[in-house]
Amino acid sequence: MSAATPAASTPEGVSPSAANTSSDPNYNASAIDRLVLDYLRARGLRGAEEALRESIGTSAEDKDSGKVPESSASTSTIPADELVKKLAVFAPKQTKPGENALKDSSSVLQELAAMGNTTNIQNLIASIPSIGAEEILSLDPTDKHEGFRELEAWVEGSLEMYKPEFRPILFPIFCHFYLDLVQHGFKDAALDFHATFSPSLAPVHHTTIHHLSTILLPIHVQTDEVAQRFRNEKYTIRMSRSGFGLLVGWLTEGIGGEATGGGEGFSGEKGKRGRAAIMRVVNNHLRFDVTSSPTTSVSPNAWEESTGFLTSVTPQANGSTLIDPQAFNTSRGELKLGPAPLSEELRTETERLLREQAMVDRDPSAQYDLHYARQTTVPGLVSPSLSDLPPHPPTFKTVDIKREVEKVRDARKRIRLEPSALANVNLNTPQGAAARSRALPSICCYTLHDAGEGAPCCTFSQDTSLMAAGFSESYIRLWSLKGEKLKGYRSDFQSSSIRDASSLKKIREKGGSTTRKLIGHSGPVYSVAFDPIGGSAAPPRYLLSASADATTRLWSLDTMTNVAAYRGHQNPIWDVQWSPMGIYFATASRDRTARLWSTDRTSALRVYAGHLGDVDCVQFHPNSLYLATGSSDWTARLWDVQRGSCVRVFTGHQGIVSTLAFSPDGRYLATAGEDLAINLWDLGSGKRVKKMTGHTASVYSLAFSAESSMLVSGGADWTVRCWDVKSSSSSPSKARENGNHTNGAGAAAPENGDRKEDSLETTDLLATFPTKRTPIIDVQFTSRNLCLVAGPYLSPESR
Amino acid sequence: MSKQNSKARLPPNQLTGIYKADSIRDVADSLNITNLPDAVASALASDVEYRIHQVVEEAAKFMRHARRTTMTTADIDNALRVLNIEPLYGHTPHNPPTFRRALPFPNLQSAGSVYFVEDEEIDFDRVIREEKLALPKGVSWTAHWLAVEGVQPLIPENPPAIARDVEQEQIKPGSPARPGTVFPPTPPSDGPHQAAKKAAQQQQQLVKHVLSRELQLYYTRLTSALLPTSGAVDPTKRDAALASLRHDAGLQALLPYLVRWVGEGVVAALRGGVQSEADGRVLEVFLDVTGALLDNPTLFVEPYLHQLLPPLLSVLLHSSFPPTQSTNLRTAAAHTLAHLLTTYATTYPSLPPRVMKTLLLALLAQGRSAGTREGAVRGLVGVGREAVRKGLLEGGGARVVGAECAEGREGSWSVVDAVMDALRVLHPPSTQPTPLNSADEEDVRLIAQLREQLGDFFAQRLMGDAVWARGVLAGSES
Repeated sequence: MSAATPAASTPEGVSPSAANTSSDPNYNASAIDRLVLDYLRARGLRGAEEALRESIGTSAEDKDSGKVPESSASTSTIPADELVKKLAVFAPKQTKPGENALKDSSSVLQELAAMGNTTNIQNLIASIPSIGAEEILSLDPTDKHEGFRELEAWVEGSLEMYKPEFRPILFPIFCHFYLDLVQHGFKDAALDFHATFSPSLAPVHHTTIHHLSTILLPIHVQTDEVAQRFRNEKYTIRMSRSGFGLLVGWLTEGIGGEATGGGEGFSGEKGKRGRAAIMRVVNNHLRFDVTSSPTTSVSPNAWEESTGFLTSVTPQANGSTLIDPQAFNTSRGELKLGPAPLSEELRTETERLLREQAMVDRDPSAQYDLHYARQTTVPGLVSPSLSDLPPHPPTFKTVDIKREVEKVRDARKRIRLEPSALANVNLNTPQGAAARSRALPSICCYTLHDAGEGAPCCTFSQDTSLMAAGFSESYIRLWSLKGEKLKGYRSDFQSSSIRDASSLKKIREKGGSTTRKLIGHSGPVYSVAFDPIGGSAAPPRYLLSASADATTRLWSLDTMTNVAAYRGHQNPIWDVQWSPMGIYFATASRDRTARLWSTDRTSALRVYAGHLGDVDCVQFHPNSLYLATGSSDWTARLWDVQRGSCVRVFTGHQGIVSTLAFSPDGRYLATAGEDLAINLWDLGSGKRVKKMTGHTASVYSLAFSAESSMLVSGGADWTVRCWDVKSSSSSPSKARENGNHTNGAGAAAPENGDRKEDSLETTDLLATFPTKRTPIIDVQFTSRNLCLVAGPYLSPESR
Repeated sequence: MSKQNSKARLPPNQLTGIYKADSIRDVADSLNITNLPDAVASALASDVEYRIHQVVEEAAKFMRHARRTTMTTADIDNALRVLNIEPLYGHTPHNPPTFRRALPFPNLQSAGSVYFVEDEEIDFDRVIREEKLALPKGVSWTAHWLAVEGVQPLIPENPPAIARDVEQEQIKPGSPARPGTVFPPTPPSDGPHQAAKKAAQQQQQLVKHVLSRELQLYYTRLTSALLPTSGAVDPTKRDAALASLRHDAGLQALLPYLVRWVGEGVVAALRGGVQSEADGRVLEVFLDVTGALLDNPTLFVEPYLHQLLPPLLSVLLHSSFPPTQSTNLRTAAAHTLAHLLTTYATTYPSLPPRVMKTLLLALLAQGRSAGTREGAVRGLVGVGREAVRKGLLEGGGARVVGAECAEGREGSWSVVDAVMDALRVLHPPSTQPTPLNSADEEDVRLIAQLREQLGDFFAQRLMGDAVWARGVLAGSES
């Protein structure tokens, strides 16, 4: 509806401002000017408002303004300043308030004010800092085209060592040029510009570029979030000192950028104007982070971390402006990443029980269990004290002891996975097979059939007795994996008749089946989570679910009913997770916040605000001191659970962060994004350890093995992939299929597309296990290191 | 470069301009606004398109969180809801609407082509009468091993490696391989390996088993000696050939060929319906060859057992042989079978039970000819005493055969002989038989037991020898 509203669109604003400066004494000079003037007046009479609105964007003007410089270039009879004048003359004609009124440059502002209703215009004039002839010429769409072509040629023609540094500059300039064109109403020129230059940028910046292509009118530029970020925030680019020097040299002098065959264009006026346009963007919208590090030491993926709207995604801590996430991360000091302590009483009780059991079982090896129970301080990590943890009840229950005892046993009986065993081993030899069985996990796949619309979420309880899945049809389904019947309580009983456990047993439902539907939500269920209190020793007693209806619900698995609904978010909740010790849980929502809740209160305890987009996923640190969130603003953050402040920002994903996982040892965070990469972050330093690529569609779930040595991921490409956490990542690698190492010999001359795909897989991808047609929506390790994955089977005929 | 690129990829305006100004004009017409200026229409179209994209981007979030790669109408509805716009009712993901083009409207040429959603009329009476609505199955789950210690087991639940290749081929080469663009409808391929695999497969086909000239010569001589294509069989030659098979070393390379020769020969002979004695003799030769192969200590026959057994069992259980040869052939086959089993039962413990199962089926199933029955009984004798006991006594084989013999089927005498032989295996008859005394109470009980276990027919025959009868029954009880 922008056409109807007299909003502050730029053509209106720029034209008078152009008049402001350039309606100089020579105004009435030439006869050609007269002709142009007449022509335009004729147009103006026909539909003044129309001319005012779409002005320069329409083809008539386009042609007009396009022709003039062309003729000037070819015949060279009209000098540059003449051209400026010409354009300057016709510009004021666009404005409705009569050309003569604005002739006098000194009185323009007054005149405009007198006309009223033009505060917008005034604002715009005021916002344009200095207007020279080049500003007017920026209305010519062709210089953007030309300028960007020159820039691209310069970047591609630069030395190989500088290319990775210079390439990131193309994208913001492309975006700004496009937005400029749209803002000035050159819709067709903008589309043409987009069509010409987007292909070379699309492989990396696909999402943003596509989003930009939907912006077609000036009003969109003003309302669209992405566009406004480009307009109002500085886009950071990291460059070495020498690289920056080269760039500046090219921008000012045109040194080094002679594209082959483009000599005329660059030395000519057009080239200069193009460079000037680039210069404007560079000056107004880019921030160069000039480093002294030599260019060669920069890894090819480093630009992901150092490029983008870093200022805005970095939380601003009290007054001091931190412009760099890295600076922010270091400013937040050290984190307590060590394992959570166990209360003294609970530990002694656990040890006592372990000793007793060792006696009963006459299992000599069991006494070694004890050392598992002892708290081991991980070297290099600061362990929190009991007082650092969120408050928990001071006493402990039988279930707590059971859980701790079971934890110790699990640690002893666990399948050990050593991905490092696979290094330097030929997999086709018997030793290779042995190494493989030591290194890679056994994976049990649970396939959901007839899921219809698919299942948004699925999870297993820690003792693997239950599986829960949430569905788009607003219900949750619970399955007993042990084949036991799931029974709730009858509703027709007298509470006075319940005295002891046996009478409670009497009111259990008769019959029942191994599956159960939990109904209560009024929107798709996006996340379910079993309470962790029982650990692997006892079945969980509660289930949390989050839904599009903006509620989180707590379900009792004793009664099989909904016991509480937590309201507070105003928007769909994307994720819910229990704290590792129960009681607390966190939710992530579309309303750009994550919140901390406790099960006994219906309102949130903490709100973690700061993300610039939806919070898509949430996860507690194993010691429950920190909370990690992944967001649609392409970053992940780490929050101090109790203080509610952000302590780390992880930038580097080139897409929405869709899922994340902490390593059990508390050192690392793995995040997966819509850019199909899995990033591994060191929590202490906030730096990226490595980037793992290989998935060909969204990654839905991540899980670390108990030793934190292996990462397993599942996604929409119907595969489960195993990654080596410890080894370094490099690409390309030889792909391994079905866990087999097929050497690529005999693959004669792979096609271009193939090579691209091949190079996607980094060397730390240990194995890929495809399923038939099952996107993997959940990956989990049991406490004994068996990997469980789940997903709905997509029957080929349904879609 | 830019020109080429844009051509190679999408046509420039594919991403934008989906919503045309004409559509705006159509809508305006429907609202009786006929004089809509072009500029307004095009600006409106651009705006509408932008809004559509806004909704779609929002809907994409819902799609992603629902862990799907296909957007549904429900996603759009959810997006509209959170954008505070009233959802579009009536579109369910379960029946995607199909648009049909209306016939040209003659009265109003300017209307252009009109599309409408097909709305099928449903006759309730018919639906209620005819259509049985099946309730959809509830969601269920299955579990399988995706990987066991890092190796993907080749079970039906997991995708076969070769089928994946086929699937991969369907992906167009032009499909984008860059991240985040389009999710391929089928999971991704890794192209170069596919080619490698194929090359390997072809290579496998090309590599042939090289048989030395000498062995080839030996093979032809051997087969012609055993079964000359013309003229009578020279017994000495045949015996020599068999002896060579039985004792000579270095025939391992020929083994697969010989096994196949035997298999095909037996099938050919049996298919012809063994009419003449010549056919019978041919079969005999094949049995001899099988026996000889098993005898040869230098041959490693184990991998070919599954190929050797079918011809053997076919001969044993074939329904009709010429009466003169029937017993002979079956006995020979049973002998060879016994030989095979005694040699390999230890290495393949599952072999005797499997053979026995086949034999029992032949013995007990209805409508088998007497020949088959005889073969089965002889086969059981070959398998061993225990098998005879199981088949004839416990399984009721004797009763079945007895009943059939009592009916007086043709050729029943040989079956009876076979059964009696089998019973003799269970317990040798006494040299001086004393009949069971029908007056003695214990003997009466024994007779009853005999009748119960063996049926009247064979009970009658055993009654004459008390020791034997007791022995047979005792064997069954022990």
